[in-house]
This record gives sequence, structure tokens and C-alpha cells, in this order.
Amino acid sequence: MSKKIQLYSLATPNGQKVSVALHELGLDFDTHVIDIRKGDQFTDEFKKINPNSKIPALVDPDGPGGKELALFESGAILLYLAEKTGKLLPADPAANWETVSWLMFQMGGVGPMFGQFGHFTKYAPEKVPYAINRYTTEAKRLLGVLEARLTGRQYIMGDDYTIADIATFPWVVCLSAFYNADEALGLADFKAVQAWVNRCMERPASKVSVFGAYNCWVIASCDAGGGAMCKEVALSAYDNADEALGLADFKAVQAWVDRCMERPASKAGMHVAPFPAS
Amino acid sequence: MSKKIQLYSLATPNGQKVSVALHELGLDFDTHVIDIRKGDQFTDEFKKINPNSKIPALVDPDGPGGKELALFESGAILLYLAEKTGKLLPADPAAKWETVSWLMFQMGGVGPMFGQFGHFTKYAPEKVPYAINRYTTEAKRLLGVLEARLTGRQYIMGDDYTIADIATFPWVVCLSAFYNADEALGLADFKAVQAWVNRCMERPANKAGMHVAPFPAS
Repeated sequence: MSKKIQLYSLATPNGQKVSVALHELGLDFDTHVIDIRKGDQFTDEFKKINPNSKIPALVDPDGPGGKELALFESGAILLYLAEKTGKLLPADPAANWETVSWLMFQMGGVGPMFGQFGHFTKYAPEKVPYAINRYTTEAKRLLGVLEARLTGRQYIMGDDYTIADIATFPWVVCLSAFYNADEALGLADFKAVQAWVNRCMERPASKVSVFGAYNCWVIASCDAGGGAMCKEVALSAYDNADEALGLADFKAVQAWVDRCMERPASKAGMHVAPFPAS
Repeated sequence: MSKKIQLYSLATPNGQKVSVALHELGLDFDTHVIDIRKGDQFTDEFKKINPNSKIPALVDPDGPGGKELALFESGAILLYLAEKTGKLLPADPAAKWETVSWLMFQMGGVGPMFGQFGHFTKYAPEKVPYAINRYTTEAKRLLGVLEARLTGRQYIMGDDYTIADIATFPWVVCLSAFYNADEALGLADFKAVQAWVNRCMERPANKAGMHVAPFPAS
């Protein structure tokens, strides 16, 4: 049996949290893609690992006492990885607990509410104005809380990058990249949040896990398998992402994407739990 | 300044989680009622303790290093109290992490989704059938996950009563007591869940713990 951590995931914000952390911590892992669009999460095999049938889930063959440990819920996984490695959580106990408060703020608020926002603005088969309004209002309120916290800080806990950031920034990226909500939420107005997202996304571990995952979704969809990102395909496969994100303005990013995609190592590194072609 | 723990709360399920835990642990505390129907959560004073303007929040004057510590989010508070006292979390590390998974299941799933169910079935000023259906379906699914877990177990972690139970049962009680959803969710069919709720509610600490920071009379 492999001695590497086994990750059961998909490149959704909750999945990205964990792959970002694993890359950040330099931990080796194998990825099992659980395609939730196809019901992979409901197999008996997967339910043994996560009885709630959600991703991400993780099995550490080298858990406490050298025994195999299964974990579900991204928040539990992040806490576990931080404790296992002694990283991504402040050593000072008071700061440690403050970080846990912000982690729970993401687990109980940001994730579920941004997710409802996404459901009613993007996925729901009918338009439900009351719900769109409710979750738009709450998403903006939550962004305001983040904005206040991040004003004058590099990261949620100040100078330290922690699991609170890792849990939260993929969801903020998702608002723009998946839900195309820049206008609906006035994302550009949350300047401290934007600066923080950029700061988090500049980290190499994030590029592979978050931006890389989106690119890899595009590439899996267009069957290009590792070539340079195809603009027309991105437009069609990704629903006007160019406009919503203003992708053309990020010239250094575009050049960098092409440069990264040419590297042999990217073929493996980019495909962390990609969405399988439908 | 009081050396007792200061609890800022209201008797909603999230508030009840913490007062249940405080009673279970035999910790002295003072209660500040934060009436969220009146906007108490938006004062500058409260926002210093919880910038997210939600209850519960807690200040421990005897925090790490003997210094005052402010905490928000019921899940964080429960973990903190368990670690501070060495109780309500299994000592075995593997069981401890399994408990944390179930705690997060409550924090990320049960609480938010039962809360949306309650909003659309009880509080929303208009009837929104799509949303009622969505959250009814998800509430039933979550109850099913709990039912499967609790079948053959006394508590979520087997024989041990932990913060996973404390985080979760007040929300199940709420479905019935606040949201009157026995019929809509077929609560009686979840027999292991019902037995577990009764088992939790029989604990002496809960008789007091569930009724801390009651809603002020309007």
C-alpha cells in the first residue's frame, strides 16, 4: 500500500483548500478524482471514508501511532495537517485559537453561504429572486467582514499565512472564476480582499492548486492534454471567463501560463483532481 | 474584572451548544444576552469580540498564559473548552480527529443547512417553494447521515459523549421545537437520531444548559 497521503477530491473550492495545503507543506500525495457530477461520492467504498458523501476526504496511511487515519471535512483536514507538520498555525496559543475562530468563520459561514449564492445565481434550474437577494446580501456582508479584517494586514492573522487563509481565499476566487459574480457582488470594491487574494494566489503552491486547477479543467474539457491554454476553448468551456475576469489584461499571467504549461512537470502537477471530461 | 468566563449568547442552537458545554464541564460563567432580533450584535463593543456579529462569542479571562482570550464561532469555542479541560474529546488521537471531522460536519453542513431550512419554512416573509424543497431535501439527507452513524452507537463517537454531540443535538431539537418540522422532515422515522437526542437531553447539564440566555420577552 502506498505510504503517501491519499486525497479524494475535485477542484472545487473545498477541494482546492486541501490541495493548496498539501502543496504548501510539501507533502506527497496521490489523488483520487471523485466526480460529484457523476455520483462517485455515493459508492460504498467512498462512504466508508466519508459517510457524508462529500469531497474532500483524506486518508493518511501514516496517521497517529503509525496507523491509517481517514478524515473528512476540509476544516478537519486542514487542522490535522497543520498539527501534523507544525506549520500553517501560529505557535502562540492565543493566536492559534484566533486562527481557529477564523477557520470556523469560513467553515460555517463563508463556504456554505457563498455556495448558496453560487447555487441560486449559477446552478439553479429556475430563477429564485428571493434567494438570489438573500445570498447576495449575505455574501456581501461576509466580504465586508473579510475586508475589515484584511485592512492593514497581509493575511487574516497578520503577517502569518495560515490555514484560515487557505480555507478562505479559494472561495473568494470561486466567486469570480466559477460564479462570474464580480459585478453582482461588486468584488472590485473590496480592495483589501482583492490584494489578499492576489497575495495568496502568488504563492507557488496556490498557482498549482487553484489557478492550475482551473486551467486543468479547461484543458481536460478541450482534450488538449497539456498544451498551451486555448483561448477559444476557454471562452466556450468556461462561460465568458475572459470577460468576468478580464483575463486579457493579465498579460504577465498569460505569458506565465504558457510558460508553465510547456514544462514537462506540469503534466502531472496541473492535474490535481481535474473535472473529468463529461 | 470577573475571573469567570464571559458568554455572549442567546438560546439559539449555536448558543445552546456552548452553554451546554459550559454546564457539562462545570465551568462558572457570566452570561450577556445578545438579542439578535434587536441588533445587539452590531455594537462596536460586540464587534471587538466577534467581527462577524454573530453569537455565541466567549471571553476567557484566564486564557493561554493567564491572559484574556476572545473567541467566536461555536466550533472554535467547543474545541477550546475541550482542550482547556481535557474533556469531551477522546484522548486517543485517531478518535480525536474523527470527532473533529464530525464537529466540522455539523459546522459546515448541519448548522447552515438546517438554518436555511428554518429560514424558508418559518421566517421568510414569502413562500419560496424551490428553496423550501431544496433545504427540506438536504435536511433529510443530513438526518440520514446522522441516522446511519448513530445506528448501533450511543453517541456520535460510540460510547463517549463529545463536542460532536454537543454541537449537533441542539440543532436537531431545534427542527422540532423551533421549526415545528416533525411532519415536514418525518423526524419520527429517524429512530436512532431520536433515541440519541433523548439520551443527550436526559443529561443533567442540559436541563440548565439548553436554557441559558433565553430570548427576552418581546
